[in-house]
Amino acid sequence: MKKLVLPIFLSILLVGCNDEKTLEVNNANGEEVKEVAAIIKNEDEINSGRAIFVEDQLLVAVQAKPWLDYKKTKIEKNLKKKLEEILPEYDITVSSDYKLYWEAQKLLKEEDSEKVKEKLEKLKKLKKEET
Amino acid sequence: MNQEQFDKIEQEITPPTPYVKNVLKAFLVGGLICTIGHAITYFYIIFFDFTEKTVGNPTAATIIFISMLLTGFGLYKKIGQFAGAGSAVPVSGFGNAVISAAIEHRTEGFVLGVGGNMFKLAGSVILFGVSSAFVVSLIKLILVTMGVIEW
Repeated sequence: MKKLVLPIFLSILLVGCNDEKTLEVNNANGEEVKEVAAIIKNEDEINSGRAIFVEDQLLVAVQAKPWLDYKKTKIEKNLKKKLEEILPEYDITVSSDYKLYWEAQKLLKEEDSEKVKEKLEKLKKLKKEET
Repeated sequence: MNQEQFDKIEQEITPPTPYVKNVLKAFLVGGLICTIGHAITYFYIIFFDFTEKTVGNPTAATIIFISMLLTGFGLYKKIGQFAGAGSAVPVSGFGNAVISAAIEHRTEGFVLGVGGNMFKLAGSVILFGVSSAFVVSLIKLILVTMGVIEW
Protein backbone atom coordinates (compact mmCIF):
# COMPACT_ATOMS: atom_id res chain seq x y z
CA MET A 1 0.00 0.00 0.00
CA LYS A 2 2.74 2.42 0.96
CA LYS A 3 4.57 1.78 -2.29
CA LEU A 4 1.52 2.85 -4.22
CA VAL A 5 1.07 6.16 -2.46
CA LEU A 6 3.82 8.05 -4.26
CA PRO A 7 2.89 7.03 -7.85
CA ILE A 8 -0.77 7.82 -7.21
CA PHE A 9 0.08 11.15 -5.66
CA LEU A 10 2.42 12.05 -8.50
CA SER A 11 -0.03 11.08 -11.21
CA ILE A 12 -2.75 13.19 -9.59
CA LEU A 13 -0.31 16.07 -9.30
CA LEU A 14 0.89 15.81 -12.88
CA VAL A 15 -2.58 15.61 -14.41
CA GLY A 16 -2.80 19.30 -13.56
CA CYS A 17 0.14 19.98 -15.87
CA ASN A 18 -1.82 19.07 -18.99
CA ASP A 19 -1.23 22.32 -20.81
CA GLU A 20 -3.10 21.83 -24.05
CA LYS A 21 -5.69 24.44 -24.87
CA THR A 22 -8.99 22.97 -25.95
CA LEU A 23 -11.33 24.92 -28.12
CA GLU A 24 -14.73 23.86 -29.38
CA VAL A 25 -17.08 25.78 -31.62
CA ASN A 26 -20.45 24.61 -32.84
CA ASN A 27 -21.18 24.33 -36.53
CA ALA A 28 -21.64 27.76 -38.02
CA ASN A 29 -20.29 29.69 -40.99
CA GLY A 30 -16.53 29.52 -41.25
CA GLU A 31 -15.26 33.11 -41.18
CA GLU A 32 -16.52 34.03 -37.74
CA VAL A 33 -15.59 30.72 -36.21
CA LYS A 34 -12.01 31.24 -37.26
CA GLU A 35 -11.92 34.75 -35.89
CA VAL A 36 -13.31 33.73 -32.52
CA ALA A 37 -10.98 30.75 -32.34
CA ALA A 38 -7.99 32.95 -33.09
CA ILE A 39 -8.89 35.41 -30.35
CA ILE A 40 -9.39 32.75 -27.72
CA LYS A 41 -6.16 31.07 -28.73
CA ASN A 42 -4.23 34.29 -28.31
CA GLU A 43 -5.46 34.82 -24.74
CA ASP A 44 -2.78 33.48 -22.44
CA GLU A 45 -5.00 33.50 -19.39
CA ILE A 46 -7.58 31.10 -20.80
CA ASN A 47 -7.33 27.37 -20.38
CA SER A 48 -10.14 26.23 -22.63
CA GLY A 49 -13.12 27.68 -24.37
CA ARG A 50 -16.43 26.79 -25.99
CA ALA A 51 -18.29 29.05 -28.40
CA ILE A 52 -21.91 28.69 -29.48
CA PHE A 53 -23.35 30.58 -32.44
CA VAL A 54 -27.14 30.88 -32.72
CA GLU A 55 -28.62 33.37 -35.16
CA ASP A 56 -27.38 36.75 -33.93
CA GLN A 57 -26.22 35.47 -30.56
CA LEU A 58 -22.85 34.24 -29.46
CA LEU A 59 -22.07 32.53 -26.19
CA VAL A 60 -18.42 32.15 -25.26
CA ALA A 61 -17.81 30.07 -22.17
CA VAL A 62 -14.19 29.94 -21.05
CA GLN A 63 -12.24 28.46 -18.19
CA ALA A 64 -9.49 30.61 -16.76
CA LYS A 65 -6.16 29.05 -15.83
CA PRO A 66 -6.36 27.69 -12.27
CA TRP A 67 -4.01 30.24 -10.73
CA LEU A 68 -5.78 33.13 -12.45
CA ASP A 69 -9.23 32.32 -11.08
CA TYR A 70 -9.22 35.46 -8.97
CA LYS A 71 -9.28 37.82 -11.95
CA LYS A 72 -12.03 36.08 -13.84
CA THR A 73 -14.20 39.15 -14.27
CA LYS A 74 -11.29 41.03 -15.81
CA ILE A 75 -10.59 38.23 -18.26
CA GLU A 76 -14.29 38.12 -19.17
CA LYS A 77 -14.37 41.84 -19.78
CA ASN A 78 -11.24 41.86 -21.93
CA LEU A 79 -12.46 38.99 -24.05
CA LYS A 80 -15.87 40.53 -24.52
CA LYS A 81 -14.32 43.79 -25.65
CA LYS A 82 -12.10 42.04 -28.19
CA LEU A 83 -14.97 39.94 -29.51
CA GLU A 84 -17.26 42.92 -29.85
CA GLU A 85 -14.66 44.69 -31.92
CA ILE A 86 -14.56 42.05 -34.63
CA LEU A 87 -18.16 40.85 -34.39
CA PRO A 88 -20.20 44.00 -33.77
CA GLU A 89 -23.36 42.52 -35.28
CA TYR A 90 -23.57 39.76 -32.67
CA ASP A 91 -25.12 39.85 -29.22
CA ILE A 92 -22.18 38.47 -27.27
CA THR A 93 -22.21 36.80 -23.86
CA VAL A 94 -18.87 35.92 -22.32
CA SER A 95 -18.67 33.90 -19.14
CA SER A 96 -15.98 32.12 -17.19
CA ASP A 97 -18.52 30.35 -15.02
CA TYR A 98 -18.28 26.57 -14.87
CA LYS A 99 -22.05 26.21 -15.18
CA LEU A 100 -22.09 27.93 -18.55
CA TYR A 101 -19.01 26.02 -19.65
CA TRP A 102 -20.69 22.74 -18.74
CA GLU A 103 -23.97 23.61 -20.46
CA ALA A 104 -22.08 24.80 -23.54
CA GLN A 105 -20.79 21.28 -23.94
CA LYS A 106 -24.38 20.03 -24.18
CA LEU A 107 -25.26 22.81 -26.61
CA LEU A 108 -22.37 21.81 -28.87
CA LYS A 109 -24.08 18.49 -29.48
CA GLU A 110 -27.59 19.92 -29.84
CA GLU A 111 -28.71 20.04 -33.47
CA ASP A 112 -32.04 21.85 -33.14
CA SER A 113 -31.26 25.57 -33.22
CA GLU A 114 -34.60 26.47 -31.60
CA LYS A 115 -33.69 24.45 -28.54
CA VAL A 116 -30.20 25.94 -28.45
CA LYS A 117 -31.67 29.41 -28.49
CA GLU A 118 -34.10 28.59 -25.72
CA LYS A 119 -31.34 27.18 -23.55
CA LEU A 120 -29.11 30.15 -24.27
CA GLU A 121 -31.74 32.53 -22.99
CA LYS A 122 -32.02 30.46 -19.85
CA LEU A 123 -28.27 30.52 -19.35
CA LYS A 124 -28.19 34.28 -19.78
CA LYS A 125 -30.78 34.60 -17.05
CA LEU A 126 -28.79 32.28 -14.80
CA LYS A 127 -25.69 34.35 -15.35
CA LYS A 128 -27.43 37.43 -14.04
CA GLU A 129 -28.60 35.76 -10.82
CA GLU A 130 -26.79 36.96 -7.74
CA THR A 131 -28.05 34.82 -4.88
CA MET B 1 9.23 23.53 46.41
CA ASN B 2 8.58 27.00 45.09
CA GLN B 3 6.79 28.03 41.92
CA GLU B 4 9.92 28.23 39.80
CA GLN B 5 11.08 24.74 40.67
CA PHE B 6 7.61 23.41 40.03
CA ASP B 7 7.48 25.06 36.61
CA LYS B 8 10.86 23.59 35.73
CA ILE B 9 9.89 20.07 36.74
CA GLU B 10 6.55 20.40 35.00
CA GLN B 11 8.21 21.44 31.77
CA GLU B 12 10.63 18.54 31.94
CA ILE B 13 7.87 15.99 32.44
CA THR B 14 5.32 17.32 29.96
CA PRO B 15 5.76 15.57 26.62
CA PRO B 16 6.49 18.00 23.78
CA THR B 17 3.47 18.99 21.68
CA PRO B 18 3.85 17.47 18.21
CA TYR B 19 3.15 20.72 16.39
CA VAL B 20 4.27 19.57 12.96
CA LYS B 21 2.23 16.37 13.18
CA ASN B 22 -0.85 18.25 14.40
CA VAL B 23 -0.56 20.81 11.64
CA LEU B 24 -0.21 18.08 9.02
CA LYS B 25 -3.24 16.23 10.35
CA ALA B 26 -5.31 19.42 10.41
CA PHE B 27 -4.15 20.27 6.89
CA LEU B 28 -5.04 16.87 5.48
CA VAL B 29 -8.43 16.50 7.15
CA GLY B 30 -9.38 20.14 6.57
CA GLY B 31 -8.34 19.75 2.94
CA LEU B 32 -10.39 16.58 2.66
CA ILE B 33 -13.49 18.33 4.02
CA CYS B 34 -12.97 21.16 1.54
CA THR B 35 -12.50 18.66 -1.30
CA ILE B 36 -15.82 17.06 -0.40
CA GLY B 37 -17.31 20.55 -0.37
CA HIS B 38 -15.95 21.18 -3.83
CA ALA B 39 -17.39 17.90 -5.08
CA ILE B 40 -20.79 19.01 -3.72
CA THR B 41 -20.30 22.36 -5.48
CA TYR B 42 -19.82 20.64 -8.81
CA PHE B 43 -22.74 18.33 -8.09
CA TYR B 44 -25.03 21.33 -7.67
CA ILE B 45 -23.62 23.11 -10.72
CA ILE B 46 -23.96 20.09 -12.99
CA PHE B 47 -27.30 18.67 -11.90
CA PHE B 48 -29.10 21.82 -10.74
CA ASP B 49 -29.39 25.39 -12.00
CA PHE B 50 -26.65 26.92 -9.90
CA THR B 51 -23.76 29.01 -11.16
CA GLU B 52 -20.42 29.49 -9.47
CA LYS B 53 -21.80 32.72 -8.04
CA THR B 54 -24.89 31.16 -6.45
CA VAL B 55 -23.66 27.70 -5.51
CA GLY B 56 -22.02 28.76 -2.25
CA ASN B 57 -25.18 28.77 -0.16
CA PRO B 58 -26.50 25.28 -0.93
CA THR B 59 -22.99 23.84 -0.59
CA ALA B 60 -22.48 25.36 2.86
CA ALA B 61 -25.93 24.18 3.90
CA THR B 62 -25.19 20.64 2.75
CA ILE B 63 -21.83 20.49 4.51
CA ILE B 64 -23.40 21.80 7.72
CA PHE B 65 -26.19 19.24 7.43
CA ILE B 66 -23.73 16.37 6.93
CA SER B 67 -21.61 17.46 9.89
CA MET B 68 -24.76 17.76 12.03
CA LEU B 69 -25.65 14.17 11.18
CA LEU B 70 -22.11 13.01 11.91
CA THR B 71 -22.19 14.84 15.25
CA GLY B 72 -25.46 13.13 16.14
CA PHE B 73 -24.00 9.73 15.36
CA GLY B 74 -20.90 10.54 17.41
CA LEU B 75 -18.49 10.34 14.47
CA TYR B 76 -17.53 14.00 14.29
CA LYS B 77 -16.04 13.74 17.77
CA LYS B 78 -13.53 11.22 16.46
CA ILE B 79 -12.64 13.40 13.48
CA GLY B 80 -12.22 16.35 15.83
CA GLN B 81 -9.93 14.40 18.14
CA PHE B 82 -7.76 13.37 15.23
CA ALA B 83 -7.68 16.58 13.21
CA GLY B 84 -8.24 19.39 15.72
CA ALA B 85 -8.62 22.70 13.94
CA GLY B 86 -8.84 20.89 10.61
CA SER B 87 -12.36 19.84 11.51
CA ALA B 88 -13.35 23.01 13.37
CA VAL B 89 -12.32 25.74 10.93
CA PRO B 90 -14.36 24.67 7.86
CA VAL B 91 -18.08 25.43 8.01
CA SER B 92 -18.72 21.87 9.20
CA GLY B 93 -17.41 22.96 12.61
CA PHE B 94 -20.39 25.27 12.86
CA GLY B 95 -22.86 22.40 12.50
CA ASN B 96 -20.90 20.46 15.07
CA ALA B 97 -21.01 23.37 17.54
CA VAL B 98 -24.78 23.71 17.19
CA ILE B 99 -25.67 20.05 17.55
CA SER B 100 -23.19 19.15 20.27
CA ALA B 101 -24.56 21.97 22.46
CA ALA B 102 -28.10 20.79 21.74
CA ILE B 103 -27.22 17.21 22.72
CA GLU B 104 -25.44 18.35 25.84
CA HIS B 105 -28.47 20.24 27.19
CA ARG B 106 -31.29 18.00 26.00
CA THR B 107 -31.94 16.72 29.53
CA GLU B 108 -32.93 20.24 30.58
CA GLY B 109 -35.97 20.22 28.32
CA PHE B 110 -36.72 21.35 24.81
CA VAL B 111 -37.31 25.06 25.39
CA LEU B 112 -34.86 26.08 28.10
CA GLY B 113 -32.42 23.25 27.42
CA VAL B 114 -32.11 22.67 23.69
CA GLY B 115 -33.62 25.97 22.54
CA GLY B 116 -31.77 28.14 24.99
CA ASN B 117 -28.37 26.53 24.64
CA MET B 118 -28.26 25.47 21.01
CA PHE B 119 -26.48 28.61 19.88
CA LYS B 120 -24.31 28.92 22.97
CA LEU B 121 -21.18 28.36 20.89
CA ALA B 122 -22.43 29.03 17.39
CA GLY B 123 -24.14 32.25 18.43
CA SER B 124 -20.83 34.06 18.64
CA VAL B 125 -19.95 32.74 15.17
CA ILE B 126 -23.16 34.21 13.79
CA LEU B 127 -22.80 37.50 15.65
CA PHE B 128 -19.22 38.18 14.66
CA GLY B 129 -19.78 36.79 11.18
CA VAL B 130 -22.63 39.19 10.53
CA SER B 131 -20.90 42.20 12.07
CA SER B 132 -17.61 41.61 10.26
CA ALA B 133 -19.53 41.08 6.99
CA PHE B 134 -21.17 44.45 7.59
CA VAL B 135 -17.79 46.15 8.10
CA VAL B 136 -16.24 44.47 5.07
CA SER B 137 -19.15 45.35 2.79
CA LEU B 138 -19.04 48.90 4.07
CA ILE B 139 -15.35 49.14 3.13
CA LYS B 140 -16.12 47.66 -0.28
CA LEU B 141 -18.98 50.08 -0.83
CA ILE B 142 -16.65 52.99 -0.04
CA LEU B 143 -13.97 51.65 -2.40
CA VAL B 144 -16.49 51.10 -5.21
CA THR B 145 -17.94 54.58 -4.73
CA MET B 146 -14.45 56.03 -4.91
CA GLY B 147 -13.84 54.03 -8.10
CA VAL B 148 -10.90 51.98 -6.82
CA ILE B 149 -12.49 48.58 -7.50
CA GLU B 150 -15.63 47.22 -9.10
CA TRP B 151 -18.36 45.02 -7.67
